[in-house]
Amino acid sequence: MRLLAALGALSFAGQLLLSCGIVGAQSLSELQILVKKDSDSLARLDIDTFVKNVVPESKSYAVVVQLTALSPKYKCEPCIKLDKTLRAVARGWNRHGDKDRIIFASMDVDDGEELFHKMKIEQIPRLMVFPAGAGPHALANASPREMTIKEETMTPVGMSAKLGLLLGVEIKPDVPVDYSKYLKSILAVQAAGVGAYLAYKFVNLRMLGRNLWAIATIMFVLLMTSGFMWNKINDPPYMGQTKSGEVALFVPTNNQQFAVETQIVAVTYAVCALCIVILVRHAPKIQSADQRTFVTLVFVLVLMLMFSYLNSVFRLKMPGYPFKLLLE
Amino acid sequence: MVNKVLGLTAADQASLLRIAILGLISLVAIGSRLYSVIRFESVIHEFDPWFNYRTTRYLVDHGFDKFWNWFDETAWYPLGRVVGGTLYPGIMVTSATIYNALHLINIPVDIRNVCVFLAPAFSALTAIATYHLGKEVKNATAGLLAAAFIGVAPGYISRSVAGSYDNEGIAIFLLVFTFFLWLRSVRLGSALYGALTAISYFYMVSAWGGYVFIINLIPLHVFALLAMGRFSNRLYVAYSTFYVIGTLASMQIPFVGFQPTFTSEHMAALGTFGLIQLVAFASFARTLVPENHFRTLLRGAVVSLFVVGLSGLVLLTMSGVIAPWTGRFYSLWDTGYAKIHIPIIASVSEHQPTAWPNFFFDLNMLIWLLPAGIYFSFSELSDNHVFLILYSIFAAYFASVMVRLILTLTPIVCVLAGVAMAHVFETYLNLRDVPAAAQLKAKATPDVVAATDAVKSLVDAVSDDTAIEDTDSASGHKKDGKRGKGAKKNAAKAVEPTSADGAATSSTQPSVPTSKELSPALKRFYALFPKFVVMTCFMFLLCMFQWHCSWITSTAYSSPSVVLSSRGPDGSHLIIDDFREAYYWLRKNTKPEAKVLSWWDYGYQLAGMADRTTLVDNNTWNNTHIATVGKIMASDEDTAYELARHHDVDYVLVVFGAMLGYSGDDINKFLWMVRIAQGVYPDDVKEEEFYNSQGQYAISDDASPAMKNSLMHKLSYYRFADVMGGQGFDRVRKQKLPTSVTLDNFEEAYTTENWMVRIYKVKDLDNLGRSHHAASKF
Repeated sequence: MRLLAALGALSFAGQLLLSCGIVGAQSLSELQILVKKDSDSLARLDIDTFVKNVVPESKSYAVVVQLTALSPKYKCEPCIKLDKTLRAVARGWNRHGDKDRIIFASMDVDDGEELFHKMKIEQIPRLMVFPAGAGPHALANASPREMTIKEETMTPVGMSAKLGLLLGVEIKPDVPVDYSKYLKSILAVQAAGVGAYLAYKFVNLRMLGRNLWAIATIMFVLLMTSGFMWNKINDPPYMGQTKSGEVALFVPTNNQQFAVETQIVAVTYAVCALCIVILVRHAPKIQSADQRTFVTLVFVLVLMLMFSYLNSVFRLKMPGYPFKLLLE
Repeated sequence: MVNKVLGLTAADQASLLRIAILGLISLVAIGSRLYSVIRFESVIHEFDPWFNYRTTRYLVDHGFDKFWNWFDETAWYPLGRVVGGTLYPGIMVTSATIYNALHLINIPVDIRNVCVFLAPAFSALTAIATYHLGKEVKNATAGLLAAAFIGVAPGYISRSVAGSYDNEGIAIFLLVFTFFLWLRSVRLGSALYGALTAISYFYMVSAWGGYVFIINLIPLHVFALLAMGRFSNRLYVAYSTFYVIGTLASMQIPFVGFQPTFTSEHMAALGTFGLIQLVAFASFARTLVPENHFRTLLRGAVVSLFVVGLSGLVLLTMSGVIAPWTGRFYSLWDTGYAKIHIPIIASVSEHQPTAWPNFFFDLNMLIWLLPAGIYFSFSELSDNHVFLILYSIFAAYFASVMVRLILTLTPIVCVLAGVAMAHVFETYLNLRDVPAAAQLKAKATPDVVAATDAVKSLVDAVSDDTAIEDTDSASGHKKDGKRGKGAKKNAAKAVEPTSADGAATSSTQPSVPTSKELSPALKRFYALFPKFVVMTCFMFLLCMFQWHCSWITSTAYSSPSVVLSSRGPDGSHLIIDDFREAYYWLRKNTKPEAKVLSWWDYGYQLAGMADRTTLVDNNTWNNTHIATVGKIMASDEDTAYELARHHDVDYVLVVFGAMLGYSGDDINKFLWMVRIAQGVYPDDVKEEEFYNSQGQYAISDDASPAMKNSLMHKLSYYRFADVMGGQGFDRVRKQKLPTSVTLDNFEEAYTTENWMVRIYKVKDLDNLGRSHHAASKF
């Protein structure tokens, strides 16, 4: 993937160079002017500057370019995310780094659609590095390369580390400190403290405590046993769609789930458990015999229905499961 | 006695029944674990059990001393492995003891059969231990139900079918038994039971790394009780005895060694031990010092101790005296940790989080009986119930983070489900109170209701001193400052005038016929009908649970994975025995000192069945070595050849499922090999190079160059197209086969019947000093 893209870029650059008649006239200062124009020190390129100042391998500086589509009409979420990250890295470099050594730049599809077509770029965003081929910081292999965009490279720290490794220099990103987070946690701690104090002062903890603890424990256990952590780690969509476009609540496989499944299953478990508690604790205490019979039967029925529902869902998730109850 | 049957009193009958039921439960528990033996044969399963089996055989053949000092130079070549110091010896010693005992009484049983049937036998013991645990927290009914549940729950069967000779097979019994002893020692405050808990804990430490769960849960229980203000001398005796003996004993296992004194996993136990000493001292000091002085003393002591303790802990951790938590534990708390930092943990499928169908699959209806059980525990909330609640919270969390920890969740689910079910049974199987209740209801006027309530409160007041403060009639007298017996008398007096008459009438002359009199039989029917319906439904649910468990066990958990089975087109049963075929070929046709390279999954099996030296195995202690093997597999032929010669490799073994459609083969695991290799050799191996230009993981002609050149790809597909024909097809990847696969540096040595295992010989250097490519061209 990387190789192909690099080859494409190179061959295309060669053609362009020939067709435009510009050879070896790259200049750092042009790029630096562009860098200065931008508040985050991210040079905005067009086709000419790209071909002239970025592509040639004989340049004495490295260029890190994102190929992107930031205009809202493209609705490219990852582009915006990558842009934000790259801007943080560029700002950091502008502050701490040697401005003659690495240039951070951005190439938008609006400024060079033709280039994107010729380079056969179908997927965006892409992050490409054009290392220096001459001068003191030249790399032995100055051919352009692409950096794969993974979860870790999407963070300023991760991206700086990767770039730094590639270019042999330490890059410090400029990550704005999120004071609101500190503020929020301070407020939360204070609120918790005040709440605890008020509870200690005014609430009879012994009386309230047991029920609260019971509810909290049961809710926690219900969440855990209905796959909450799976959702948290794998981050599945809330619900799905069938091929005919209807809403699908359940993934028909055994080890996948939608987020909504956890909620449905947890509630079903809770209702089943509640039925048991009512049948044991409350139904026998009803004084009137008819009422008691009625309540008992109703809750047994609810229990059986709920369990049948669970079973039918499980049959959906696990084709070939032979047992069923009441519901299909 | 009137009700003597066969000369037995009712109590004797009940205990006889209990024993009979427990015996039957044990039989069912053992029986349902034998599917694999009946369907296949008495064979050791999977991967880790092969190591346990091999070491057990060594123990039986060479004796305990040799076993303890065993350095195995045939594993992790050329590093070797200190086996005696890096394993939990519990399961081996157990089997060897059983084996020797049987031979002592002249039963010449094979050690393999002892190993195969060890886990089912221990599952019967688990059922009995669970019965006692259930009896400890509620009564025999709950105990029997819990035992019946754990006997067949797939969550436990998954790790204890016959042939699954792994630590968990005996560890779950030990877990349950230790907890039972612990609860009993807390209830009785007995040092004897505390010591027994410690001994059982020692056995657990010797058997399974999961002992950490016990050594954190018990201190947590103690801590929770202290925080609830429930310190008692019983608790003090139980915990102090347990901790001291248990910790000293656990340090006798070389693999554990001094860990209990300096790793974070054990610090909670140590801290709680210190805390309970302080609390005990404080409660002792309270008896000697006046109240207001004591309060100042306490406040000062608590604050200073907290500051000193915390700063000490932080300092020690930062200076590295207390080792930080190990990776596997991090991955329990910070769930993203393993994904980023330790591919070798993330690569194992049983370390993945658990989706809800897995819980339902393994526990079925027990999973919704669990919350009901928790509710009932909260409504009683004795010291034992606090333990059950804590256990369920933590086990539920761990099970939701890692699939394989459903195993530790299963016992508590069974116990709490047993408690909930026992409540249902006691309410709806109790037919004795029906006629009386029905008669009472026939005349359920408000007067009588009030009267019966008053009687109840009277009974409460007489039987229980502390209950006085709760009853309405006594609350007035509390203000007078009268307590104890005086208050009791007053309470009794207070209720007497209002209730005596009513109580008398309701108990002595119960039935005043109403105008529309139903016949007694019909009345009885009406009273019994709802109970009958409830019990029918629950009996049906229980039956369904049993069906579910049997079905799951037979379909999902009874395959040895060493021997596979499939169905022919006519429905006939086919046995696929390629693994053993390949291992026996190695055993019979190669030099005894030959070194075989394979991915680590097959290391234990190779050592156990082929008896040849391996480079890496399932004891994944050296990530670099594993990454080297991954690099050999992921490099091109020449690099791989050079590396293989450096490591003295004679044979390379790959598992290949394309002919049968066996999806657990090496090509599917290959990406993990690449990732693990990349973690150590980022310059030489790059994951992205193994995807083709469309970003897919392809194997056919459109695969990426790195993929096509990699040793793994070549060894897998070499000459495979010849046997599948020109239109060949990979049945796992559903892709076309690569058209030309060349191989010069390695030669095919053996391929099994269904092409599942392929063995290649690493060629010697060419006689004329040419490269192998040149030689084969020539």
